Amino acid sequence: MKILVVEDEKGLAESITDYLTKEGFICEVANTFWQADEKISLYRYDCTIVDLTLPDGEGFDIIQTLKKIAATTGIIIISARNTLEDKIRGLEIGSDDYMTKPFHLSELNARVKSLIRRRHFGGNNDMIWKEIRVQLAARKVFIHDREALISRKEYDLLLYFLSNIDVALTKESIAEHLWGDHMDSSDSLDMVYSHIKNLRRKIVERGGKDYIQSIYGIGYKFTAP
Amino acid sequence: MKLLQKTSRIYLAASLVTYLVVGIAFYWIIKFIIYDEVESRLMVEKQDFETYIRANDMWSSNSYFVENKIEAHPVFGKFKNEVVFTDTLIRNRYEESVDPFRQVSFYTLIGGTPYRVSIRKSMIESYKLIEAISATMITCLALLMVGMFFFQRRLSGQLWQPFYDSLSKIKNFDWTRNEKLSLTRSEITEFNELEDVMEKMASKMQHDYKSLREFTENASHEIQTPLALINARVEQFIQSKDLGENHTYWIEEIYHAARRMSRLNQGLLLLAKIENQQFTDQEEIDLSELIKDKIKDFEDIIHHKNIRVDFKIEGSFGRLMSPSLADILLSNLLNNAIKHNHTDGTITIEAGEHYLEISNSGSVLKGNPERLFERFKKESTGTESLGLGLAIVKQICDNYNLQIAYNTSDSMHTILISK
Repeated sequence: MKILVVEDEKGLAESITDYLTKEGFICEVANTFWQADEKISLYRYDCTIVDLTLPDGEGFDIIQTLKKIAATTGIIIISARNTLEDKIRGLEIGSDDYMTKPFHLSELNARVKSLIRRRHFGGNNDMIWKEIRVQLAARKVFIHDREALISRKEYDLLLYFLSNIDVALTKESIAEHLWGDHMDSSDSLDMVYSHIKNLRRKIVERGGKDYIQSIYGIGYKFTAP
Repeated sequence: MKLLQKTSRIYLAASLVTYLVVGIAFYWIIKFIIYDEVESRLMVEKQDFETYIRANDMWSSNSYFVENKIEAHPVFGKFKNEVVFTDTLIRNRYEESVDPFRQVSFYTLIGGTPYRVSIRKSMIESYKLIEAISATMITCLALLMVGMFFFQRRLSGQLWQPFYDSLSKIKNFDWTRNEKLSLTRSEITEFNELEDVMEKMASKMQHDYKSLREFTENASHEIQTPLALINARVEQFIQSKDLGENHTYWIEEIYHAARRMSRLNQGLLLLAKIENQQFTDQEEIDLSELIKDKIKDFEDIIHHKNIRVDFKIEGSFGRLMSPSLADILLSNLLNNAIKHNHTDGTITIEAGEHYLEISNSGSVLKGNPERLFERFKKESTGTESLGLGLAIVKQICDNYNLQIAYNTSDSMHTILISK
């Protein structure tokens, strides 16, 4: 899977590519509008991550060009601009997702994976990890082929973990993933705790192993023990 | 008061005063001239009379004729020898009326005895003349005044028309949009100068507004990017396997501070945008309907804190406002009601045609309730709270002329928004 990261801030571009490379993607970086323009006309990518504000051009123009020459490429906008107009415009011209800076790399990773799943399998495939199988279309979870009845939020949480295996996730990134950023109270961290507790219990009840590992002071990690 | 009304009134008042003064003066002048004429004729007759007396030294009074009547009465005792003009009324013999006369009285010796002599002249004709002249004059003057008044009103109306056109254009001018202010030219130099100045000011305003807007947006962008970098680096850093407890603590602090700063920046940017009235899209929003929808976003946390939510919706509280701001307004209010609530607490949402009220249970407020809506005034010491939520709510209410009030009783906190 090839990903193009169009971002003028070199440090941020590097962070994104490092993170995604670890997740098994092949990443390329374009720091300027013209580099990006050249790359999209020469190569095909499965997904493009585009910053809207570039020193020599607008990210919107790259998206428009990209839509013309490679309509199947998934597009995720990352921008510091969080106005509704920008978001609507982004979606109108054909981008698939819009993330406001600052974002969590784990969240970006989850969205890239979800986008690629949708693009390549139409969302009809299963996600399998050890004894856990997630039927994406039906939003159902099976442990050792027995269905585990989990709530909507627990499903989202599990999917987030499965997209970020072996990665330390902060409590805040989990809370934001589940409830968006309008929830700014410390209550949401308690809720993360209780959802994780329930999810862990439900997996173990069905005979699954406890893969959720707490990291002191930071958050959680989904990993094989 | 409108300019035309004001000028009309001043003009009317000034005209009336002038009219009265001129009318009265005119009347007196005519009267004076006529009296002067009558009196000089009477003096001539007095001379005639005296000449006659000197020649004949006798006077047979013939008082039959009313006109030019001369009366002579002998005077006994003391008298003051002087010539006096007086007005007098004499009964008309044929008509049941009294007629005005002007008479001159003087003393003279006839046959050695002093006589008081009065010579009269009828003023009927003179009075008629005065009346005729005055009436004509007053009518003409009045017509002139009324004519001038209407002419002046029409003229001013026409002259000021370009001014009023420009005024209505300026009133409708919205500097948050990109349309230029263009005013129609007129023949009048002063108006053209005014329009030039207004156009210049308008384009300066638009330009300043645009650069301010760009600046706030760029500033926010510039701040968010390094924050995104800090966040990303922290996230990468926590992936290391060999983090000590000390490191974790530091990392957590850095991470929290960066997140907090980013949220502060977003909050302040939002406030600036609301203040600058950058949310120009408007829709009729039913807030009582929207809040029912909005509370679904908070379902999990309400469930988690076991809060009971009661609705008492009696009518739709509608307002023409930006959908994004309506969303932010209600989110912030609900967030506030949940955040400061305790486990097993309650939230009551009441709405009617003219108000929306959100009450929540919670601990007693220690600070000054007046300052609750100010920026960075927060009740809880929790670092998670920014102290911007209610300031944003207040700013949105101010923008749409909504009243906002806070009330507390028995550990229930109520925020009332009304038209």
